[in-house]
Order: sequence, then C-alpha cells, then structure tokens
Amino acid sequence: MERELIIEKLTSIFHDVFGDNSIVLRDDMTAADVENWDSLTHMLMITKVEEVFGIKFKLKELNKLKMVGDLITIIESKLQ
Amino acid sequence: MTFTSFEFLLFFPVVVLLYNIIPQKLRVWYLLVVSYVFYAFMQPVYLVLLAAVTGITYGFTRWMGATDDDDKKKRIMIWGIILVLLPLFFFKYYNFVNESITALLTAIGFHTAIPKISWMLPVGISFYTFMSIGYLVDVNNEEVEVETNIGSVGLFLSFFPYILSGPIERAGNMFPQLKKMPTSQPSDLTAGLKLMLWGYFMKLCVADRLGIYVDAVFNNFVNHNGTTLAFATLLYPIQVYADLGGYSLLAIGAARCMGLKIIPNFNRPFFATSMSELWRRWHMSFINWLTDYIYTPLSFALRSWKIWGIVCALMLTFLVSGIWHGAAITSIVWGLVQGVYLSLEALLQKKRSSMESKHNLNKKWWYILICCVVVYLLFAFSQIFGRCATLSDAWIVIRKIFNVRGSLFEEVTTYGWFSILILFVKDFRDEFFPNQFRLFESSHIVIRFISYAVIAFLIVSIGVLDGGQFIYFQF
Repeated sequence: MERELIIEKLTSIFHDVFGDNSIVLRDDMTAADVENWDSLTHMLMITKVEEVFGIKFKLKELNKLKMVGDLITIIESKLQ
Repeated sequence: MTFTSFEFLLFFPVVVLLYNIIPQKLRVWYLLVVSYVFYAFMQPVYLVLLAAVTGITYGFTRWMGATDDDDKKKRIMIWGIILVLLPLFFFKYYNFVNESITALLTAIGFHTAIPKISWMLPVGISFYTFMSIGYLVDVNNEEVEVETNIGSVGLFLSFFPYILSGPIERAGNMFPQLKKMPTSQPSDLTAGLKLMLWGYFMKLCVADRLGIYVDAVFNNFVNHNGTTLAFATLLYPIQVYADLGGYSLLAIGAARCMGLKIIPNFNRPFFATSMSELWRRWHMSFINWLTDYIYTPLSFALRSWKIWGIVCALMLTFLVSGIWHGAAITSIVWGLVQGVYLSLEALLQKKRSSMESKHNLNKKWWYILICCVVVYLLFAFSQIFGRCATLSDAWIVIRKIFNVRGSLFEEVTTYGWFSILILFVKDFRDEFFPNQFRLFESSHIVIRFISYAVIAFLIVSIGVLDGGQFIYFQF
C-alpha cells in the first residue's frame, strides 16, 4: 500500500478515535499535539489500526513509537 | 537524616563542595558512598538489602546483555524481577498475606498460627525496587543499554536525593548523566537552591502546618462531627501535595546542585479538569512507571476487548497502585476507587469530548473551574481511604460527613491559611500566566533576592521546624 493511502486511512482513524475531524497528520506529530491522545485512547487507536490494515503489532514495536511518522513507517513495513 | 533535619543542612553543602573538588571519574563512586552513608544514618542494617538488590539488578542485566536469544532474555528478566520483589514482599506484604490467610482458615474452621515478623520496613524499598524492575524491563525491551559500571547501577538505585521517597527514576534518564558527572555550574546551583527553597516552604509551612489539623481530626475522628471531618478531608489532598511535592522539589533541587536533572513528580495537580489529567499531574514518576510497566502491557494484551480491555487494565493497574501504597484493605480500596473513576471517565470520554467541542466549553473559565472543583472533590473523597487506618474507620468518617452536622473545629491558624494562599497564588500564576509576575525568575536582581528572603523568612518564622517525617517514607 502506498504511503499516501496509509496516511489517508490513518487520518480517518485519528478523526474517529480522538473525536476531532480537523486533525491533519504530520510525520513529527506526537501525542502532545493532539487533544485526547492519552494512554487510554492510544490503545484504542492501535486496535483500530490493526483492524483496518489487517496487521498485528508487537509490544516492543509499540514501545518504540515516538511520533506519527514512526507509526506510518511500521504500518508500511508490515504491509510489504 | 531527613531533608528537614539540622544534620542535612551541614551534610549537603559539604557533599556538593567535595563533589566539585574531586576528579570527574571518581564522582560516581563518591556519590555512591555518600548515598550509602546518608541511608546508613537512617537504617544501617538495611544497606545489605540495598546492596543485594543492586547486585541482582547488575548481574541479571549483564546476563541479559550477554544473550541474543529474546526468549532467554525474557526468562532472565522474569527471574530478576522475582528476586528483587522478594525482599519487598517479605518486609511489606508478608504479615498482610499471613493475616488474611489465617483469617480465612479460621473462618472455615482451621486454626493455625503462622509466625508474624516484626521488623521495620526498610526505608525506600518500594522506590528502589520499582527502579530496579523498570531497568530490567527496559533492558529486555532494548530501550536502554546495559550499564557495565556497577558503581553507576549502585548510584542509580541509591542516589540520596530520591532513595527515600522518589521521584522513581528511570535508567534511561540517569545513566547518560552518570557517564558525564558534570561539574556544578552557577546556573545549576541557583536553579537547585531555588527549587529547594520552595520545597522547604511547601513542606514546612504548608504540609506540616496542615498536618497538625488533619492529624488532630483524623486521629480522633470518633469525637469530631461531620462538618469538621469534611473540612479535614478537603485539606488532606493539599497536605499530601505539599508533603510529597515539597519532598520531590527538595530531591530535584539537591540533584540539580550537582548538575544532575531528575524527573519531575508534580505539575500543579489541582488545576486538572479530569481525573485522568489529575493522574498525569500527580506523583507523575510513579504513574508513568505504572503506565509503562503495568498498564501498557495489560491494555495491549487485552486490546481485543476494546474499551472493556482498557477498563480491566485500568482497574488492575490501580489495584497494583493501591497495593504499592500499603499492605492494607484501605489501600486496595483507595486504588480501586481511582480505577473506577478513570474507567467511568474512559467510558464517557467520547460523549464528553463532543459536548465540549460543540459548546466550545474548554475555553470557558466557569467550565474549567467547575471541572477543577469536581475533580478535587472526587479525589479528596478517595483520599479518605488513604488516610484512615481501617475500612470501618473510613466508613464511619464517610457516614459522619453525610449525616452528622455541627460546628467546625477551628484550629487551622492564620499562618496555615496564609501559606496555602501563597502556594495557590504561585501555582495559579505558573498555570495561567507562566511568563508574567515573575519573582524567583524575575530579571531584576532586587526582586529576585527579596522573594528568596521573604520565603526564607516565612520558613523560619511560620514553618513547623520539628524535623517531622515525610508522609511517603512509610511506603
């Protein structure tokens, strides 16, 4: 799947989980930049990403995610 | 020796001075010896335990570093965690588990008498055990490099500013700094001393002054009416904030005087507009530890249950939090109450967010005020279980608060109110006007020095200078 398509699907997941349709994803975006992105909603977002893209994360991989760009890269690598 | 003792006022300047005189490569070992001496002033015999946990942590992390096999690494980590937890279990929970099992057996007709232990709880054991576990897990998750210098591991677990009451430090923050061991810069000394000055104010003028009233009421709750108990319940969170928050600032400031930056512990918790926000501002090093090592693995494992997986993970995490705070049913209930608050909030999160954005409530001062007050009241209520010795005591206090009216036991002095007001104004300014009305950070040297002098004068004149203990030493 192309990176643009991943970003498009991920954007709609962010809109749904964090309840804000104005979120525009950037590679350097972190939880601090998005209202309602906390440890509770984070896992809901991860579950939704697994569902929509049909992939499975490992806990170790999640611990290494620092920003949205990392998430996009890992989804990309899992889909290849 | 505690931060509020006279000995510490002599000990600390000498420690900082010698730290800067000795060669940089000896500083880790120097601070390790200083930290062990500091601990020995309180409980010399338990240094053996601290050294044993250090040895286990060092040995097991080196062993993990020597293998590339992920499964083997995980097994070593699990055994390391079990070994460092053994002393904590033995000293803190053995009697509680023993009594619970004995009571259960008695209830079904078996009479047994397993011997009790009556040794003192080693000070700081809950803190250095958690730091050790965090380091073991971080090595397994490849988040930190294995530290090969046993002196650094020893100092990480025993550093005197935080060993008694936290903050609960992380290997990832400390080890890179322990490699450098910088000479104190003038800016480090001024920043550190300012934090310590404010920490002393919070502890001696706010916490200990409120403590006189809160202790008088709760230690004799049978003879007080509901009005007084409600009032003491409302004051207790401020006392704990000033006590542990003050201690944390003393720890952070003391480390900063030697150029070391340790993690923050409080961020004006009473301006939180939700319980989850309160827990991101209150005892942050502890809650972040729980989030990383308990909540995240649990919520990950239960993620297929969606929101209910989050609710289960929250309840279990705060159950652990309660058990960490004390081997008692009251502590467990305290933890479960926090879990219930946060679970309800998680379940209502979407509705709340859409209501707030629909009416633009997050920008309205009255909405923020109402949320802060509701959060404070809920938190103060939960703290009744933290303050009372038994569940039946807590139940009596709660029933009296809602049923027994009467006149207020008025013993909070003008000094107490004055100190709370100064603390509130300082936190209010930091929260809403961080770049205005600066005093400690003013660009005018006269204003800065007058502010230091006023706070120092208040500490000496209205502080409770009896060398009292910090609440969190018992954990």
